Amino acid sequence: MLMHIIHMEYDVFKANDKIAEKNRTNLDKHQVFSVNIMGAIGSGKTTLIEEAIKNLKGKYRIAVIAGDVIAEMDASRFRKLGVPTIPVNTGKECHLDAKLLEKALNEIDLENTDILIIENVGNLICPVDFKLGEHLRIVIVSVTEGDDIILKHPMIFKTSELAIINKVDIAYAVDCNTKKMQEDILSLNPDVPVILTSKHDFKSLENWINFIELSFKKNVEK
Amino acid sequence: MHELSIACEIVEQVINSATSHRATKVKQVTLQIGRLTHTNPEQLSFCFKVISEGSIAEDADFIVEMVPLRLECECGYEGTMNTSQIRESSELKSELLAYTAAMDCPSCGKPAHIIGGRELIIKSIEIETEDEDLTEDR
Repeated sequence: MLMHIIHMEYDVFKANDKIAEKNRTNLDKHQVFSVNIMGAIGSGKTTLIEEAIKNLKGKYRIAVIAGDVIAEMDASRFRKLGVPTIPVNTGKECHLDAKLLEKALNEIDLENTDILIIENVGNLICPVDFKLGEHLRIVIVSVTEGDDIILKHPMIFKTSELAIINKVDIAYAVDCNTKKMQEDILSLNPDVPVILTSKHDFKSLENWINFIELSFKKNVEK
Repeated sequence: MHELSIACEIVEQVINSATSHRATKVKQVTLQIGRLTHTNPEQLSFCFKVISEGSIAEDADFIVEMVPLRLECECGYEGTMNTSQIRESSELKSELLAYTAAMDCPSCGKPAHIIGGRELIIKSIEIETEDEDLTEDR
């Protein structure tokens, strides 16, 4: 009997990153701009995506990938708005990964898509380490999660390119200091844009929708 | 909790590598986990134990080396963070947060890039083989 040491040097996350790069190449080849929307359960991801779809679907061809433990519920909300939607059931899994996205991309008519919105599983922890190949990473939190939610989950705010604080209209009712939330985000990621939104304030929704549209246009120019 | 799916991948990679080297048993698995990853070493070790049951990797020692944060800055600095920068306020108790809070360049004070601390690497495995040939690396 002999003993050997095998140096594997296999990085589990890098293996995911490699598939993410492939996804990105695939998306770029078809000139599809993709947005990965992350956030806690009940933070309003689905609602904000619905608002963006309603306002942008006249101008752009939008498709959605709805990732969830049981994805059909959110997917049917998006389909009602008339956009092609692929539900991705993660089962017991707490995040989407590049492999799941790769599979879902096969089911989307990329040739006829301008903007692909990917709704990640409601979770502020697990999606952080798994890149998908997306162009834009967005994190959504709401005031109902408490104003200490940011500092409890630093990495997702550190690695996102837009942070949204949602449901600000009820901040007072849930005793939440939105200014503190904003400051906490900027202390972790000084360059990240922060948008405050409320479903009942269209002006605030416009900021969010415009951000998506501007990012899309910037990507086209590239 | 995604340690289970990560452990599945680790077991698969370890067994693939071990069998390609004609191993009859995996004695030890050494992992490197970055301090900034959202992975719990104890849970991972438990999941590995459960999944590897009945395979050649069953009962392998599961060794975890934690990888510290490494920073790189445009000023030319490359290295670890300055521990004196870790803010010790009551809000910043968690280790992860302390690391994140200390991501300014120790040399010039500007926000630095993270170049280490986010990895999860199967570094090496120790295997037993029955034949006399020396197994080649990789």
